[in-house]
Amino acid sequence: MNIVVLVKQIPDPAGPSELEDDYTLDRNCKLILDESDSYGVEIALQLRETSGGGEVTLVSMAPNKEVSGIRTALAMGAEKAILVTDDALSGADALTTAKVLAKAIERAGDYDLVIGATESTDGYVGTVPAAIAELLGLPSVTFAKKIEVQEGKIVVQRQTEAGYDLIEAPLPAMISVTAGVVEPRYPSFKGIMAAKKKPCDIIGVSDLGLDVSAGWGQEILSVEDAPARAAGEKIEDDGESYLKIVEFLENKKII
Amino acid sequence: MLREAVRDITTSFGPDYFREKARKGEKTNELWNALASQGYLGVNLPAAYGGGGCGIGELAIVCEELGAQGCPLLLLIVSPAICGTILARFGTDEQQEKWLPRLASGEDRMAFAITEPDAGSNSHHISTTATRDGDIYRLNGQKYYISGVDEAEAILVVARTGVDEKTGQGRLSLFVVDKETAGLTFELIPVEITAPEKQFTLFFDNAEVPADHLIGTEGDGLRQVFHGLNPERITGAALANGLGIYALEKGAQYAKERQVWGTPIGTHQGVAHPLAEAKIEIELARLMTQKAAWLYDNDQDAGEAANMAKYAAAEAGLKALNQAIQVHGGNGMASEYNLAHLWGMTRLLRIAPVSREMILNFVSRHSLDLPRSY
Repeated sequence: MNIVVLVKQIPDPAGPSELEDDYTLDRNCKLILDESDSYGVEIALQLRETSGGGEVTLVSMAPNKEVSGIRTALAMGAEKAILVTDDALSGADALTTAKVLAKAIERAGDYDLVIGATESTDGYVGTVPAAIAELLGLPSVTFAKKIEVQEGKIVVQRQTEAGYDLIEAPLPAMISVTAGVVEPRYPSFKGIMAAKKKPCDIIGVSDLGLDVSAGWGQEILSVEDAPARAAGEKIEDDGESYLKIVEFLENKKII
Repeated sequence: MLREAVRDITTSFGPDYFREKARKGEKTNELWNALASQGYLGVNLPAAYGGGGCGIGELAIVCEELGAQGCPLLLLIVSPAICGTILARFGTDEQQEKWLPRLASGEDRMAFAITEPDAGSNSHHISTTATRDGDIYRLNGQKYYISGVDEAEAILVVARTGVDEKTGQGRLSLFVVDKETAGLTFELIPVEITAPEKQFTLFFDNAEVPADHLIGTEGDGLRQVFHGLNPERITGAALANGLGIYALEKGAQYAKERQVWGTPIGTHQGVAHPLAEAKIEIELARLMTQKAAWLYDNDQDAGEAANMAKYAAAEAGLKALNQAIQVHGGNGMASEYNLAHLWGMTRLLRIAPVSREMILNFVSRHSLDLPRSY
């Protein structure tokens, strides 16, 4: 089966980060594959292997023709990539991003499935997969933790607070997968060497027939530091303190 | 990306894993196999035999990164770097078909035996002999400080097959000797190195080696060996550089966090400057290592650069580790800080694969054209 995976290339979360004048993240540095997208890549590769054929195509949007993260996913085993890179997209909001990615997905040819992460590690907006599904007229299944392909449809275990929902959807469909549900493979050395030769189609907004000159309906007015963590509650152990810990965890719905 | 991939695999094991395995006298096979299964142990071997089809530059990156994650794997310097290189260059078709896929996949390891009790760095005076007798060679003699014999399937042995009448020097030949060969025994040499690889003395007592285990032409061994020794020096340098990077990262981290009189100890130049010096020396050694690898991979004379890289890397790596331990104070000796156990191996790299003194001899004579001393 043919699968499109959305991969975001982000500044290394472990490194220092800077904001631009418009309060969006400065992305003019080396970008890496967002770890939360590595799960989607792994799932796509597994589904392709199970189906016995087809291609995994990566779709990404990043500045400065950045392909470092794409190369990582190609080294894992994806066949090809489409990268939208355009200065006009600097600071684009989630809806604009979804429009761009939707057009790029259409360019990828026939596909059975589109896979994305539930949210990116740098933006945490989390609306892009559902927006793409709407734009492409696809069923949207979010928070997938397990995906099984059957004749013309998918059966998805959708993560919930209490357990999971079992959802069926016809193909093609758009799925967002939660992090940690599979173990992403390490790229092999041969994979790394092969990735250098795999096709990566680098295009701009005009190649997609889009015009973003009007900008987008979002502006970041100010940014504040996250509030400092408040001092925790101290429990003196009187032999019964475990009950208070259990109560605390129950209140948080952890147990 | 090669570096990142090796780092990702290696950090999933980490320095605690390495130290605990080595302390218990166990092997780090899980790490070896994890790297092997993704093709990182044979990056320099020919693609036709399952290798990565790249060069010593790539293998050096693997070695450096393993060191930089506190998991130095010594046998990489031996099995793919020396033995793999020599077999790929001089082995017969049968030898290549038999061994290269197994070395490339990491499934088998090959040890390398050149050093002898009475001919340390003087390879011309090797006394282990191989005498042709019909379809076999009989090997007699002794080798020592041979790494990893217990975990190897075979040993690449340098032996004397004759004497050059003009110079009186031994004519050397290389043999692939199966570990199970009758007449070959080996004994552990206890050493103060915390590593999964052990050191051994080998005894050859009329060990019968099939004649088709000879590599290339009889008497061509010295030339063949030199092709393997430059990769050994380059990957050895890379390992030392990696250990230096590891130590510096830990030293700098500790100097940033540790506070005694209200400021991090790294604020004090007495702590900061030695770390900075070590950083400069490591980076210089890395540059020379890369130069040597480039020369080697581009079929140019890499001897001088490989020697200089090995010298510089061993000095820099040891200095970095020494300073990282010093910065940690008493904690530098604590097992949980994962520094002091690397002392033995880092110190070893100043002696092996070629001692700093022999490199200084080489540079005096070959680079500066000074009179030879021996």
